[in-house]
Amino acid sequence: MNRKDWTDQGPTRRAVLGGMAATGALTVAGLLPPGPRTAVAAPSLMRAIPSTGQKIPAIGMGTWITFNVGPSRKLREARLKVLQTFFDMGGGMIDSSPMYGTSEDVVGYCLSRIENDQTLFSATKVWTVSEAMGKRQMKTSAELWGLKTFDLMQIHNLLDWETHLRTLKSWKERGRIRHIGITTSHGRRHDDLLDVMRSQPVDFVQFTYNILDREAENRLLPTAADRGLAVIINRPFRRGDLFSKFDRHPLPQWAGEIGCTNWASFLLKFVISHPAVTCAIPATSRVDHMRENMATLKGPLPDAAMRRRMVGYVESL
Amino acid sequence: MIPFSPEVFFALFEEYNLAIWPAQFAAYALGLLVLILAVRPSRVSSGVIGAILAALWMWNGVAYHWFFFAPINFSAPVFAGFFILQALLLLWKFVIQRDAMIGFRRDAPGITGLTLMIVALAGYPLLANVADHGGLQSAVFGVAPTPTVIFTLGVLLLARPRAPLVLMIVPLLWSVIGGLAVWLVGIPEDVVLPVAGVLAVNLVLWQRRGQA
Ligand SMILES: NC(=O)c1ccc[n+]([C@@H]2O[C@H](COP(=O)([O-])OP(=O)(O)OC[C@H]3O[C@@H](n4cnc5c(N)ncnc54)[C@H](OP(=O)(O)O)[C@@H]3O)[C@@H](O)[C@H]2O)c1
Repeated sequence: MNRKDWTDQGPTRRAVLGGMAATGALTVAGLLPPGPRTAVAAPSLMRAIPSTGQKIPAIGMGTWITFNVGPSRKLREARLKVLQTFFDMGGGMIDSSPMYGTSEDVVGYCLSRIENDQTLFSATKVWTVSEAMGKRQMKTSAELWGLKTFDLMQIHNLLDWETHLRTLKSWKERGRIRHIGITTSHGRRHDDLLDVMRSQPVDFVQFTYNILDREAENRLLPTAADRGLAVIINRPFRRGDLFSKFDRHPLPQWAGEIGCTNWASFLLKFVISHPAVTCAIPATSRVDHMRENMATLKGPLPDAAMRRRMVGYVESL
Repeated sequence: MIPFSPEVFFALFEEYNLAIWPAQFAAYALGLLVLILAVRPSRVSSGVIGAILAALWMWNGVAYHWFFFAPINFSAPVFAGFFILQALLLLWKFVIQRDAMIGFRRDAPGITGLTLMIVALAGYPLLANVADHGGLQSAVFGVAPTPTVIFTLGVLLLARPRAPLVLMIVPLLWSVIGGLAVWLVGIPEDVVLPVAGVLAVNLVLWQRRGQA
């Protein structure tokens, strides 16, 4: 959430703008030719956060590696163009972490130079042990981003989660953060994550899901839906590996039925069409890739039958 | 898990080389001095060599890992700790304890050691040039870890009666990490590092077996 305009009373400027963006997305979807029977016309690619009702775009962005560019001015300016493209195309969630080196600093550098960042949904993490270090780290993050409050503060990889959850609950009550989340990217932590999801007052949960890594479909996604938790999907491209695997193959001819003209949109549409998913956060260092990723917010989404067909196709490659 | 891309790594190297300029010349001068002292040892030369190596490892720990690379790499503070530890161990073994002497001899460890020292000073930069990582992007002897570690392994092979094993640990660990960089960061010239590590450890063990 922004440096200037968030208060915990009533709808925020960002929330209102978010709603307007949602209407825009609907209009675009409405203008598209009707999809075939296997594809449901996208109602809107904005998704509501179950606990607060605020809507955010179903595609956000990650910053692991891609925004960790150090002090180089040239590279920072290059990332500024990527982030500018993100907001020009209606971007919302930016996900980062103190673990990602200079990424938070670079995000702050870019945000301070971007005018149309009103749709920003700021999400970072606490990644340390102990209450005091956690508080200090979160304050540093706010300084780096140039924000007073965060839309979402997540506990990174469940590290010292009981300690941080206490802090986050009290910070949420005092309006210093708006949502609480918890993340993992390791299958072996899924049981611990499920315990937290079932027993703790978190708003968001973040884990890995993509067309080849679908373990989350068994327990994590259904549990999130049951408990009314917003779901952020990391590694939607398996850190880029999916492109190395699939790029040399053509898209199936029927990909056009769900508005896919490239692998990025094929892979992202698969992820965000799961009914329990709130948003995916692909990371990129390139403007052309950002355009491809954000273009996924338009056009129809695959239905359940089409999703099975998509899996069948990639598994046959 | 490397948190930065090769593009960022080399951009930071450029910044680092510019920021520390002309420390590279001082490092090379010290490297040449070590080479000369190793070939023409005297009563005090081992202590001087130990002190020079300790200074170079300290520089790498503090300036390279801690100040320059820690902001982009959460593992760098740990690397800094290991490099500082190695600096202290070098001081302890060669300056305080003085239970090993450094001097070239025409045996397998001696010839390999001297070769590794020359590779670190001359061969590695040539390879880096071929791999298009020359100029400002170069990992320069004495102020960047990889050539410094290769050089140190070379010096340790010249230690008599034998190389203190405790001084081999950190260089060997870095040989493994550097070996990974060949693939993960795309630095083909760093393949010299694991090769140097394997050679050094085998020769030192062979030397110790021979003396047992
Ligand atoms: N435990 C956690 O909390 C956790 C763990 C993992 C990830 N995350 C979050 O999730 C985010 C996403 O995961 P990730 O970064 O690991 O992997 P990812 O988003 O699955 O993949 C990123 C890779 O995909 C490439 N890419 C992006 N868009 C592309 C396109 N349109 N065409 C071709 N290639 C494209 C990028 O390269 P280019 O730069 O060349 O585009 C980059 O190498 C992270 O950045 C991070 O914010 C959180």
